[in-house]
Amino acid sequence: MTTTELIIQLLITGLANGLIIALIALGYTMVYGIIELINFAHGDVMMLGCFLALTIVGLCGGEQLSPWIALPLLFLTVPFFTAGLNWSVEKLAYKPIREAPKLTALVSAIGVSFVFINIGMFWGGLPMDVFGGGGSAASAKSFPDLFGWSNLLGEQSAVLLTPRDVMVAAVTIPLMIGLTFFINRTRMGTAMRAVAQNPTAAKLMGIDVDRVIGLTFIIGGALAGVASVITALYTGSIHFQMGYRNGMDAFTAAVLGGIGNLPGAVLGALLIGLVRAVMEGYVPNGGQWSNTVVFALLILVLVFRPNGILGSRVREKV
Amino acid sequence: MRSWMTSTMRLLVGSALGTIFGSALIAVDTITIVSSLPRTGSANAQTTSMVNGIKMALDEYQRTLTVGGTNYSLTYEDWDDASPERGAWDPAVEAANADKAIRNPDVMVYIGTYNSGAAKIAMPKLNQAGLAMISPANTWPGLTKPNVGEANEPTVYRPSGSINYFRVVPADDIQGAVGAAWAKELGAKRVFVLHDRELYGQGIAKMFQQNAEKLGLTVVGTEGIDGKSGNYKSLINKLRLARPDLVYFGGTTETGAGQLAKDMQSGGLTAKLMGPDAFYNSALINAAGNAALENRVFITFGGIPPEQQTGKGKAFVDAYRTVYKIEPEGYAIYAYECTKVALDAMVRAGKKDRAAILQALRETKNYDGALGKWSFDDNGDTTLALMSGNTVVNGAFSFVKLLGQ
Amino acid sequence: MSDHPTIKIIARFWPHALLAIVLVLPLFGDAIATKLTPIMVFAIVGLGLNVVAGFTGLLNLGAAAFMAIGAYTFAICTVPIYPFQIGFWPGLGVAIMVGAVAGTILALPAMRLRGDYLAIVTLGFGEIITDVLKNLDAITKGTQGLNPVAAPEIPFVTYSISAYKPTYYLYLALLLVAILLCHNMRKSRLGRQWIAVRDDELAARSMGISPARTKLIAFAIGSGLCAFGGAMFASLNGTSIEPSFYDFQQSVVILCIVIVGGMGNVKGVILGALIMVGFNSIILVNLTEWMTRNGWTGNNVLATPSNWKFMIFGLALILMMRLRPQGLIPAQDVEPVTQKPATAGATP
Repeated sequence: MTTTELIIQLLITGLANGLIIALIALGYTMVYGIIELINFAHGDVMMLGCFLALTIVGLCGGEQLSPWIALPLLFLTVPFFTAGLNWSVEKLAYKPIREAPKLTALVSAIGVSFVFINIGMFWGGLPMDVFGGGGSAASAKSFPDLFGWSNLLGEQSAVLLTPRDVMVAAVTIPLMIGLTFFINRTRMGTAMRAVAQNPTAAKLMGIDVDRVIGLTFIIGGALAGVASVITALYTGSIHFQMGYRNGMDAFTAAVLGGIGNLPGAVLGALLIGLVRAVMEGYVPNGGQWSNTVVFALLILVLVFRPNGILGSRVREKV
Repeated sequence: MRSWMTSTMRLLVGSALGTIFGSALIAVDTITIVSSLPRTGSANAQTTSMVNGIKMALDEYQRTLTVGGTNYSLTYEDWDDASPERGAWDPAVEAANADKAIRNPDVMVYIGTYNSGAAKIAMPKLNQAGLAMISPANTWPGLTKPNVGEANEPTVYRPSGSINYFRVVPADDIQGAVGAAWAKELGAKRVFVLHDRELYGQGIAKMFQQNAEKLGLTVVGTEGIDGKSGNYKSLINKLRLARPDLVYFGGTTETGAGQLAKDMQSGGLTAKLMGPDAFYNSALINAAGNAALENRVFITFGGIPPEQQTGKGKAFVDAYRTVYKIEPEGYAIYAYECTKVALDAMVRAGKKDRAAILQALRETKNYDGALGKWSFDDNGDTTLALMSGNTVVNGAFSFVKLLGQ
Repeated sequence: MSDHPTIKIIARFWPHALLAIVLVLPLFGDAIATKLTPIMVFAIVGLGLNVVAGFTGLLNLGAAAFMAIGAYTFAICTVPIYPFQIGFWPGLGVAIMVGAVAGTILALPAMRLRGDYLAIVTLGFGEIITDVLKNLDAITKGTQGLNPVAAPEIPFVTYSISAYKPTYYLYLALLLVAILLCHNMRKSRLGRQWIAVRDDELAARSMGISPARTKLIAFAIGSGLCAFGGAMFASLNGTSIEPSFYDFQQSVVILCIVIVGGMGNVKGVILGALIMVGFNSIILVNLTEWMTRNGWTGNNVLATPSNWKFMIFGLALILMMRLRPQGLIPAQDVEPVTQKPATAGATP
């Protein structure tokens, strides 16, 4: 493998992982931008989405299911489910305590996260073939390979580009462009930006703040739903504790880029994906240090740019 | 009236305190066996199967035991050494379990732990109390053997100076050697050694590596990986650069063995994957699916696998299937064997006395159990050194050959 | 608080009653002593976090990392494989100092950050500490942990390690010292500066208080207390345990101890530790055992009570936050700074 091939390979893996993190990070950063809440349960919403995806695949024939049926089916169901879930969480767990200290909502979010983790474990115990017949609820579950393992660059190529990598890019990039358009060009997007900047003033201008907040959770949840389908297909296995790690990466990405800032979240996510790819895929013994490097990078960036890479927009409260 | 009320109150408060703090009600006709295993979190499937194994052993005795002419009823308590926020074994809970067992005079045997790290906490406590501890799953060699682990092992676990800890599962120094020899037999020349940085995984990876080097295999890389990582696609790139023909993973299904197998397959790696006994559970097949494992994964496991057994081992598996309608996990038979050998020692001891039972356990020789015929050696280790090599075929574990003969 | 006289009396005297109960309880048996001792440790760690998060209003998501620093420092000072072996009390002292220094080092670059950015830096610091402890296995023995560390000892008193009561009373005494310390600090000039910086940094600055210095001291003292608790926990367990014990989840538990009781309130922290640790290691454990003993658990994943722990834990947190969002005993003196101002964003 030549140096160029190595760099291309690391880029492919890093960007694919980074794009998935970005989808989850968008959900964090949007919610934070609106109500300044670190929604700890977000990663677990995505985890439950993965379990729904596996259930659907299992009901429709498992490994035999054609990707051309599976993909539309999953993308039409899972995001609706996660969006609804995220919306209900907001209504049940966050809205009643919106006026309380911010930490109160944070603890509530941690509580929601624990409940979801438990639900995920029970879900894994369903007596279905895809869940291993229900015998071992807590173990990781294999997600059927719907794409196969061909190398799109030809079997002789040293660089490996699988249909999965392409699928990740083909789904996430248009979605992000669409979201940017929605936030910047539509009436509802403008309302969201207004609430993020100043909820009181937005309310005075006749914006239904509750509705905007609800919508933010719905969009964030839907993005997490898309992320869960992609993650399940990309990594090929799901686990009831996967929400924590994915959520942590995404949350870090959001802060790295400047929390509340959408392009910042994507930038932060890609950066984390690439750093991890280089550490795990090239640096000797780098795998065990990749977490340290990611968080050290985060601390360094925050020390020199206290509002994140692109986070100049975030107001300082006195 | 008043005195009636106060006495009722006292009774209520007393029983409430009793319930909360698990007061030790002394009943002469009871022998209690406890197990301390992580019942919350990712090891749950494995430990549920182990608890089933223990229950089966007790049920074979109809939960009664005649010791020295007295009839005792056998009680079993299934203790969790995990806590919800950790989702894995918790040192504070394990310490509390050990203390609780010591204080209850009916407890004669402590079955556990699952994690070698947890054993390190319980061992010195139980040792001082002179209570027998039998582990169905700890494989860290340092727990029993001198000069293998740390300098102060195993004396640090034996403050009383005598041995109270036994295990029915072969330790990792044996398993590492057996694994390396098998790797060579499979035609491997270049091996890449991965571990999950946990006590168990790192330990066995080290043993494998030492033995592989002794046998003349080239170790092309060693790497500690993050067992909780979402996927190992980047790591595969490093493996491809090193071109190994066998990858050894000192790790468990809970720390990413299934994901590693999946990513090795999807990354176009043709190298074989070898792993220790912690791979030998249905969770691995659930996690990786058959395609990523079939004839690609090679697993060493202590003793002859139950399916290959003809005598008591087969009887255990058959009975397990009948009762629980599901295949037993890898460690279930060890948990069963622990309980059986403990009951056997009690009968041999002839009285309900911790010291006598401990002595009887130390003298266990040529015990004919579900795992075959074995003894406890002077360190408290099983003499069972026979291991089996297994792979996966058609979504089920499949025996390949006997190792270490 | 309600005005009903009974409630007033309870509110006024429950700490005294609690003290009386904990002094007497171990006489009912070692079982109670062993179960309550970890609560004392976590109460001290909670008090440490309370100095930073409650008094000074700096959200610290890495409290467990300081516990780890304390535990490992104590271990390195006392295990036989290292030449120091300075014993229990000097070990505690060194652990506190190293914890305080580590807190200051973290706080120095973090002083420029506010609110959630500071929180994520402390979270990152926590992840780094557990990773470093895990990876530097030449020093820390990696996931094996360092053992045997020095056991708790009372000066001039010898007792067996399996005697739980002396350790219980020793730890209770140490907790009372920590409570007294926190209480007095809160009432002192320094404590008032913390509150001032927490409630209005700008106003505090214009009154001649240096916010940076005030926050640094809070971090040093808070981290020192967390390290103290970590060292005590290591001593209690006889081992430094393992790095991943001090992970983010542990930090969350400590944070919950502070929040459930009521941020910025010493009494609240004690109550929080009692509830969080007690719920976990006493109530849930015994419920599970009781159900198991009665044969109510089967092979079904839903029928095993221990499988419901996450759910119960999570629901308890959600309900608690909904019904008493300020914690069980809200700090009465001042509004916490973490309160979102009604005019959020109206200020420039």
